[in-house]
Amino acid sequence: MSHDSGSSAGAGVESLSLDLLAHALAGVRDPRDRKSCRLASRAFARAEAASRRAARVLRREALPRALRAFPALSSLDLSACAGLDDASLAAALPVPGSSAEPPGLLLPVRRVLLARASGVGWRGLEALVAACPRLEAVDLSHCVAAGDREMAALAAAGLRELVMDKCLGVTDVGLAKVAVGCPGLQRLSVKWCREISDIGVKLLAKKCPELRSVDISYLKVTNESLRSLSTLEKLEDIAMVSCLFIDDDGLQMLSMCNSLQSIDVSRCHHVSSLGLASLIDGQRFLRKINAAHSLHEIETCVLSKLSTIGETLTVLRLDGLEIFASNLQAIGSTCKNLVEIGLSKCNGVTDDGIVSLVAHCCDLRTIDVTCCHLLTNDALAAIAENCRKIECLRLESCPFISEKGLEPIATLCSHLKEIDLTDCRINDAALQHLASCSELLILKLGLCSSISDEGLVYISSNCGKLVELDLYRCSAITDDGLAAVASGCKKIRMLNLCYCTQITDAGLKHVSALEELTNLELRCLVRITGIGITSIAIGCTSLIELDLKRCYSVDDAGLWALSRYSQNLRQLTISYCQVTGLGLGHLLGSLRCLQDVKMVHLSWVSIEGFEMALRASCGRLKKLKLLGGLRSVLSTELLQMLQACGCRVRWVDKPLVYKG
Amino acid sequence: MAAAADSSGDGGTSSGEKTIVLVSSDNSARFEVREAAALLSQTVRRMIDEAGADASGDGITLPDVDAKTLAKVLEYCNKHAPASSSSSAAEAAPPAEGEEDLERFDREFVRVDMGTLYSLVTAASYLKIEGLLNLTCQTIADMIKGKTPEQIRKTLGITSEFTPEEEDEVRRENAWAF
Repeated sequence: MSHDSGSSAGAGVESLSLDLLAHALAGVRDPRDRKSCRLASRAFARAEAASRRAARVLRREALPRALRAFPALSSLDLSACAGLDDASLAAALPVPGSSAEPPGLLLPVRRVLLARASGVGWRGLEALVAACPRLEAVDLSHCVAAGDREMAALAAAGLRELVMDKCLGVTDVGLAKVAVGCPGLQRLSVKWCREISDIGVKLLAKKCPELRSVDISYLKVTNESLRSLSTLEKLEDIAMVSCLFIDDDGLQMLSMCNSLQSIDVSRCHHVSSLGLASLIDGQRFLRKINAAHSLHEIETCVLSKLSTIGETLTVLRLDGLEIFASNLQAIGSTCKNLVEIGLSKCNGVTDDGIVSLVAHCCDLRTIDVTCCHLLTNDALAAIAENCRKIECLRLESCPFISEKGLEPIATLCSHLKEIDLTDCRINDAALQHLASCSELLILKLGLCSSISDEGLVYISSNCGKLVELDLYRCSAITDDGLAAVASGCKKIRMLNLCYCTQITDAGLKHVSALEELTNLELRCLVRITGIGITSIAIGCTSLIELDLKRCYSVDDAGLWALSRYSQNLRQLTISYCQVTGLGLGHLLGSLRCLQDVKMVHLSWVSIEGFEMALRASCGRLKKLKLLGGLRSVLSTELLQMLQACGCRVRWVDKPLVYKG
Repeated sequence: MAAAADSSGDGGTSSGEKTIVLVSSDNSARFEVREAAALLSQTVRRMIDEAGADASGDGITLPDVDAKTLAKVLEYCNKHAPASSSSSAAEAAPPAEGEEDLERFDREFVRVDMGTLYSLVTAASYLKIEGLLNLTCQTIADMIKGKTPEQIRKTLGITSEFTPEEEDEVRRENAWAF
C-alpha cells in the first residue's frame, strides 16, 4: 500500500484527537510495534499509553510509573519483575480511601500474574486487592512460600480465576478462605499443594458452584474429592495428574458430572480401563482425554465407550500404554474428528496401526509417536497421504525413519509447523525435503550426527519463520552452517548448539545477527572465547537465557561484555568457565534481571571472590547451583542472607572432569 | 465519485426509495443519498429524529465534515448500506453486496493519501459510522506493523518533538517496563 507522507493539503495526524489516535493504536498488537509507536512522537507515546491493555514490568523501579501511565490496563504481568517484594509493590499501588486519591483512580486491572514472584506475600497481595477493585484473575504459581495468609488476602477479591500451583504452604484452611470469599470462582488450580486434602475440596465444591475448571494434580486426595467435585454442575475441565490415591471407584463417582469436556488422569497408577470407561459413559461433550501412563493397556471396554463420544473427541493421549494395531483401528473408526493423538512410548505401535488410524482421521494436526521404535517410512507415507493438515509431528527416537519418509511429508503437508527428529537416522537430504515447509517454526535435530552445514543451507533458504532450532550434538555443524541460519532464519528465538564442538568465535559472530534470540545453549563449545561471547552480548539484545557450561576458553573478557550489554539476562550457566572472582563479581553486580545462576567448578574463583560476588547480587538471585564443597567454607552470614532473600541454593558434588 | 449522487434528480432514486440530503460544512456541496445509506451514521440518525419531518426539505448540514471528505464517506455508505430502506431494519439487514466484494471495495477505498485518511477517521468518528471508523483505524494500525519509529514517522507524516533526553527515557522504559 503506498501512502504519501502528509505533504498533501489534507489533515495531519495532529488533527486526530488523543482518543481517536488511541483507538487506531489499539489495533497494533505486536509488543515490538507498540514500543516503536512510543518512540514515534509525544502524541503517539501518550496514545499508546492510553490504549495499552497489557504490560509486563521487568524492573520494580518502573512499576509506579507503569501503573499510572496506562489507564486502560487490564492485564499486569509481574512474574519477571526482578526483586519485587511487598514493600515495593505496596508503594507502587494507589491507596484507596486516602484523601489524595479519589476511588476513580484505582486501577482497572483485571488480571495479575505473579508466578515465581517469591518476594510478594500477604501484605503486597492485600495492597493489590485493595487497589484493583475489578481484579478477577490471579496467578501465584511457584510462590513456594505462599500459604494460608496469602490466600486470605486474595479471598477478599472475589476472584473468578486463581492459579496457586506449587504454593506449598497452602492448607485446607487457606483453600476454605478462598472458597468462601470467591463464590463466583470458575477456574482453580492447586497442583502440588500437597497439604490440601479431601476436606478442603469438599468445602470448595460446596461454596463455589460456578467452578468450570479444576486442577488437583499431584495432591494426596482420594475418591472422596471426586465425589465432592461431581456435584459441580458446570464442571467442564478436570485434571488429576498423578493422584495416586484415586482409583476406578472415584472415576465412577465423577461420572455424575455430564458436562465434562476435558479430563486428565495421566500417571494415575490405580486407574484402569474400567474406571475410564465408566467415566466416559454418559458424557456428551467430551473433547479431550489424557490417560497417558495410567491404564496399563487399553481394553475393549474403553474403546467401545469411545464410540459414544466419537463425534466430539478431538484430543486423545495414550502415551506409555500398550497399544496394538487393532486398537488403533478401533480408535480411528470411531473417533474420526481427532485433531491430536499422543502415542509416545507406546509399545506395539506399528505401521499397520498408524495406517489404519490415519485412514479415518484426516483432520489430525498433532501426532506424537516419540519412541515408537517399530515405525518405518511407510507410516510417514500414510500420514502424508491422509493428514494434509498436519502441523506437529513428534518422531523422536524412531530409528527406521529416514529422509525418504520425509519426502512425502514435505511435499504434501504444507502446514507443518513443528517436527521433532531427535535421535533419528536422517541426513541432509531430509532437510532438503523439509525446506519446502515454509511454515516451519520448530525444528529439532538433536543427536542427528549426519546433519551438516549443507542441510542448514537448505533450511535457511526457505524456512524464514523458524523460531526454534535444536542442533544438540550435531557435531558436523560448523561456522558456515551458522552463517546460513543467521541470514535465512532471522526470527530464531531458541537455539541449541551444545556439543557442536567445531564452532568457533566466527560462528558466534553470525549468531549475533539474530536480534530476536532469547535462549542460547552453547555447552562444551571448547573453541569459543570471550570474543565470541562479546559479539553475542552486543548483537543479541533480547537474550534471556545463556548456557556456557564447559566452554573452557571463555574468560573474564567475555563475561565483562555480558555484564555490560545483556541487561535482560535472567538465567546463566558458567560452570567450568575460566572466570575469576573479579569477573564474577562484575557479572552478578551488573545484571539486574539475573535470577538463576549455575556456577559449579569455577576453579579460578577464590572463596573471597565467591563471597564478594554473591554479596554483590544483593538479593536478586532466586536460584543458585554451587559446588557442595563451598558450603562449609562460605560464611554463615552470606548463606543466611541468601536464604532471607528467597534464594534457593542447590549444592552438587560433581567430580572435576574435563570433556570435549 | 459521489458527485453522481448530486445529479440523480429530485424526488428519490429510481426505485422510489426515500432519500436524504446531506450538506457539507462550508455549504458548498449537497449530496442526495438513500436513506438506508445515510442512516449508517448514528449522528445523522439522531439529527433526523430530533428535527422531525422538517429537515428533509433543506437537507441536513454537517458542520464538521467538508465536501471532499463527505463525498468519500458517502461512497462508503452507499456501498455498505443494507438493501432494505426501512430504518428499523437498517441495522439488522445485511448489505446488498456480497462479503468478498465489500472486502475488495474496502481495500481499495483506503488507498488514499494520509491527509484524506486522517480526515476520514475524524469524520467517521463525528458521524458515528462504526464500520468506517474501524476500517480506517485498522488501516493506520496495519501501516505501523513491523516499522521502526523513524519509518512510522515517515509513513504517517509525524514530526517527533522529543528532546534527546525524552527519547532516551522512553527507550529505557521500553527496555525495563515491557
